[in-house]
Amino acid sequence: MYKKKWFGKLTASALVCLVVIAAILIGIFYFNFISRKIYEDSTDHLSEVYGQVNRSFGAFVERNWGILYSWSDSAALNGADESTVPEFISREREYWGFSEFYFISADGKCVTADGTAGSMDLGKDWDILTLQGEPVMAGETLSDGQEIIVFAVPVPHAEYNGFGFDAIAISYTNADMANSLNVDSFSGKAKCFVIHNDGRVLISTQTGGNVFGNYLTYLNAAADLDESDLARIKNDWENGSAGLLQCKIGDVDYCIQYQPVGYQGYILLSAVPQNVVSAGFLSVQKITMNVLVIIFLLLGAALFTLLLLRSRKQSRKSETELQYRERIFDVLSNSVDDIFIMLDSENHNVDYISPNIERLLGIPVSEARDNIKVLEKCSPGGNVVIPKEEFAKIPLEGNKNWEYEYVHQHTGERRWYRMTVYNMVIRDIKKYIIVMSDRTLEQQMNQKMREALNAATSANEAKSNFLSNMSHDIRTPMNAIVGFSVLLEKDAENPDKVREYTRKITASSHHLLSLINDVLDMSKIESGKTSLNVDHFSLPELLEELNIILMPQAKAKQQEFKIFVNGTPPEQLVGDKLRLNQILINLLSNAVKYTPDGGKIDMTVSELSRPAQQFVKLRFVVRDNGIGMSEEFQKKIFSPFSREISSVTNKIQGTGLGMAITKNLVDLMGGIISVESAPGKGSTFTVELIFTVPEEDESDLWFSRKVKRIFVVDDEEDVCTHVKEMMSDTGVEVEYATDGTAAINAIIDAHRHGNDFDVILLDWKMPEPDGIQTARLIRDKVGHEVPILVLTSYDWSEIETEARAAGINAFMPKPFFTSTFWHTIKPLYTPDDDVKKQDAESEAGIMKGLLFLVAEDNELNAEILTEMLKMEGADCVVASNGKQAVDMFESSEPGHFDMILMDVQMPVMNGYEATGAIRASSHPEAKTIPIAAMTANTFAEDVRDALDSGMDGHLSKPIDMSAARELVSKLVKRSGPDAENKGGDNR
Amino acid sequence: MKKKCLSALAIITAVVMLASCSGFTRTSNNSGNVTLTLMGKTTDLNKSYMTRIFDLYQKSTGNKLDIISIEDDDYEMVAAEKFESGDTPDIFLHFHNADLNRFNIEDNFYYLNDESWVSDLTDGALAYCLDSSGNLLGLPFWESSVSGCYYNKTILDSLGLKPAATQTEFDVLCQALSDTGRTPICWPADGCSWMAQFGLDPIFADDPELLEKINKNEIAYSDIPDVRNMVEWISGAAEKGWFGSNYLNEGYSDISGILGSGNAVMTFIWDTWFYTDFDAGNKYSIDDFALMPVFLNTTEGGTYEGGNLNMMMVNKNSGNLDAALDFLSFCADDDNYNAAFDGISTVSCFKGQKSNIQSEMVTDAADSVAENERVSTAASRIIGYSAEDVLTALDSMFRGKTDVDGCVRLMDDYRIAEARMQGADGF
Repeated sequence: MYKKKWFGKLTASALVCLVVIAAILIGIFYFNFISRKIYEDSTDHLSEVYGQVNRSFGAFVERNWGILYSWSDSAALNGADESTVPEFISREREYWGFSEFYFISADGKCVTADGTAGSMDLGKDWDILTLQGEPVMAGETLSDGQEIIVFAVPVPHAEYNGFGFDAIAISYTNADMANSLNVDSFSGKAKCFVIHNDGRVLISTQTGGNVFGNYLTYLNAAADLDESDLARIKNDWENGSAGLLQCKIGDVDYCIQYQPVGYQGYILLSAVPQNVVSAGFLSVQKITMNVLVIIFLLLGAALFTLLLLRSRKQSRKSETELQYRERIFDVLSNSVDDIFIMLDSENHNVDYISPNIERLLGIPVSEARDNIKVLEKCSPGGNVVIPKEEFAKIPLEGNKNWEYEYVHQHTGERRWYRMTVYNMVIRDIKKYIIVMSDRTLEQQMNQKMREALNAATSANEAKSNFLSNMSHDIRTPMNAIVGFSVLLEKDAENPDKVREYTRKITASSHHLLSLINDVLDMSKIESGKTSLNVDHFSLPELLEELNIILMPQAKAKQQEFKIFVNGTPPEQLVGDKLRLNQILINLLSNAVKYTPDGGKIDMTVSELSRPAQQFVKLRFVVRDNGIGMSEEFQKKIFSPFSREISSVTNKIQGTGLGMAITKNLVDLMGGIISVESAPGKGSTFTVELIFTVPEEDESDLWFSRKVKRIFVVDDEEDVCTHVKEMMSDTGVEVEYATDGTAAINAIIDAHRHGNDFDVILLDWKMPEPDGIQTARLIRDKVGHEVPILVLTSYDWSEIETEARAAGINAFMPKPFFTSTFWHTIKPLYTPDDDVKKQDAESEAGIMKGLLFLVAEDNELNAEILTEMLKMEGADCVVASNGKQAVDMFESSEPGHFDMILMDVQMPVMNGYEATGAIRASSHPEAKTIPIAAMTANTFAEDVRDALDSGMDGHLSKPIDMSAARELVSKLVKRSGPDAENKGGDNR
Repeated sequence: MKKKCLSALAIITAVVMLASCSGFTRTSNNSGNVTLTLMGKTTDLNKSYMTRIFDLYQKSTGNKLDIISIEDDDYEMVAAEKFESGDTPDIFLHFHNADLNRFNIEDNFYYLNDESWVSDLTDGALAYCLDSSGNLLGLPFWESSVSGCYYNKTILDSLGLKPAATQTEFDVLCQALSDTGRTPICWPADGCSWMAQFGLDPIFADDPELLEKINKNEIAYSDIPDVRNMVEWISGAAEKGWFGSNYLNEGYSDISGILGSGNAVMTFIWDTWFYTDFDAGNKYSIDDFALMPVFLNTTEGGTYEGGNLNMMMVNKNSGNLDAALDFLSFCADDDNYNAAFDGISTVSCFKGQKSNIQSEMVTDAADSVAENERVSTAASRIIGYSAEDVLTALDSMFRGKTDVDGCVRLMDDYRIAEARMQGADGF
């Protein structure tokens, strides 16, 4: 197809060329023909003109000779009065216009009419004049150098004023003669000469004078005539022949025409530039030719115009169609997210670019059109996005794909484009057509799929790891339980071994329980069912509990564990103490777990800010110098089932859920948690949480208890000042000393002055004397009136006996809190100091004699509970489901059961339904009988659900009897000795 | 030797005869010897014809000449100082040029209009020595030449051509020569600075008012159409090839070869050049050359430039005024000046001057010279005129750096700058 078009174009071009060549040849032929014709006519005209000039000149010569002959015959010169001659000549000169009149003698002398004598050598012409009796025309140079033309005729010898003469003559100047030769034709550019037949110039029409001496010589020197031409000219002139020739003189082409004058061999020669000859001749022919040319040109112009108009029309139509298509394409491209570009393959200039590039990439069309490399601005890494070398490798009519990410120049949005480059030839010009297709959604989808796949893979791996870990972690305690249970049966008769086995079974059970709790906790959190149980709690108590829990663990690994409080954070807070405790225990347990023996662990609590009066933001920083974590692991430490793999961690048990639970709890409480760590350099976890601060009780407890002055003794002055700072708001005066001796002296001094301190706080571990020694000395000097408290970070159980013997009244954990201090000293100021002891004792036997209705579908659990209650001196009746429990309660006598322990998940009727039925029953104690949930569902929402169903409390399975005792003491109103009897009755 | 003896005898005889004449013996108190002071440039005073006339005078009259010879380069300054201080000579030698104005002519010099020898001066010499008011300032006593268009008549004859008598004919002649493949004019643009001044001479010599105005800085070249006509003609001639193809690289030393070889047919120069610089070993000899006027489109009939003549000027305040005038008359005596200029190649300043050698070229063109000769006006009378500056301006035009009007402006600029340097009034 392409070849056919090419052949068609070639044929058309050849035809056009042939026509043009033919037209040119015809034109040249016609032009030459016309030129030759014009030239021939022009030279004919030239000959005709100068023939006329020649005839005129001949007439002029004849006239002059005629005048002279007439004078020779007239009386004016012959025999007349000589005195009249001058006047006659003057009159005649004025009439005929000659310059001078001469009488000429045979010896070459001459005299004018006024008698002026001179010489006039006519040479050979004199012979013609006198011997042949013919008139002559000759050139003569006067003594002053003036050149004249002389016309002379022979006359019979005569005399004039004594001057004998044989001829008379008149003369003309060259200028006078030139006038007789000049013609108006040829624009004054024709030169005309009268020359001798040897070339000497007699008369010249040269404007301004004559510089030509011999024209034949001049032609020989100046014209491009060869010897034969010159010989022909010379021959013509000698023979009195006319002729015409063309020659170049200088840069000008001349027509030279010559013809004999007819007298004495004189030649009339004219030299006219050829262009003047043609220009001045037959203008009609020229005009005709010009008209023809003009007509031809007009026809050509008309044809050209027609073709041009057609071409333009076609071009306009094509342009319009092209514009339509371009417009449609623009609109189309604007509505799609694909960018279209056409580049020139040579220089990569942009031929077309779809306008949507501005919308899609934020690049102005004009900017991209100027330089396509502007696209590289959009590449996030500044990559080459128009790889020219790669383009060049694309085969003709082939294509190649690239994918690049682009950043929208205005919005910063990142989009992915697939760039497909087609290598094409359009009208014999190689072009690259680029289609940039938006693949952002596809890319995002692929990315998400990859992420999902990775996540799934990771989750799968994590869960596989988890299951693997769990399998190991669960089997380990289970193996212990099963193993020791077998041993227990075997050694049932050996009390020591039974105690040892049961202790190990209990430990393994607790471990297994914690594992199960973690898993359940995580599951609960992940399912989004976790909620907070917000209530008032004491920060000091929480810290004390943490100290109690963690200290033994740290002590077991010879680790130093301390809790610091910066500033004066509020002691009473509103929040979920249980979850906070869980968070901090997790962090601290991990710190203990992953810190080698002898390491250091501390926790610092500080108040950051108070967003409002009723809120406080606290920061808890748990720091250890343990094994630390890799940077990689820090990124996923809060992900579930994540445990760093190392030789150290592999020896440490865990589900990998602790930190995930911690993170989720912190998130749930609206806080943030972060970690800084490095392998071998320990870890620092920071938790920031916001708590509500309850309104403070303004009653003056301290003064009512007569605590006005206290004395603090600690070798760390910071502790002393901290206590002073903490007590500053209470109005209690604080004095301190940093060693025992100084303290003793101050206290003794105060005692002597009758101004004893109200309380003395002693650090336990001080340089000599230590806290106990100091206490002992104080008691020796000042007696037992002043309460002495030991302030310590350590477990004081090992020194409690010695300390109390030394006179120490109570122990207080560090850090110092006013509330803790108050709670510690409050019993010391109670009138009956034994109340506390009595309460404790009474709590220990709270269940004695009580009868419980236990709703439990699991027989094993029911049996265990039955036995445990028996151990507490209580008894129980077991119902195997809720319905049975309801029935048993309804059928019981009022006061028969002291309390109902209700399992929640039971067949027939669950615990909630049963509770509702009981509360709804007509039993007199339906509304008052204490009912406690007894379930493995231990979350806050479980507690709330229980309370909502009408229950009064909640006990977690497995049942912790101390918690059970506490709950019972709270719910059961003992009515005296009857209770014991009732219990006994039921048993 | 014999010739020398005869010459000396002739001189002595002439002196005796002269001494007996009363025509030049203005001073009656010749009983006592008079010593006249005469100041001139060293080089000028050492010219043979000068030393001859000095010797002749002293021997003939018994008077003494105290020759004050001043180095050429210091002459103008030293002489001016002497005139200012009153230390003035009786006779002062100076060319009639613009520098003469600084000597306060009217107050210091005697007008020689009525001297008996005036009628013996050639027209050219007389014209040279007249000031703008027609007063004769000095006696021209110097070697002279005629500058004109010297052409190779042999070549012209061989081409069937004749010399031009008018500017029009000259243009035709140049074109006719050019048509024959000859270079019409030898115009060595690289250093031959005098060419254009021949064209300027007629403008200012024929119209003294123009000269006065331009010297008062009331007009400039650009205000004078003929100046532009001349420059335009020169430009056109160069463009038409009338100067040849290598004229920009040709200088003074090339003229001899160019003319002698026939490569160029004409040039604008002076007759004595043929005796001093033209190489006789060339194809063409001095006999092949003839003289016609210079045509530079400033006068239809063409022009010749007369020579620059050293004038003997008389201090009108001299105590020896009569003796000084007598000295001039002595010099203007035909026998004396013929004795002095015997054998010297020069154009005659005196009509009776016969002993000098005059070129045949000048002699043949005597009528034309007499009709068209002009005093060297441009070079000597225009304040600030520098032939070199004109050459520079023309060179800019030849090389296409400026056009005709620009060339005229450059000529003006250079002239005015030079005049200012000289401290001329009105600039």
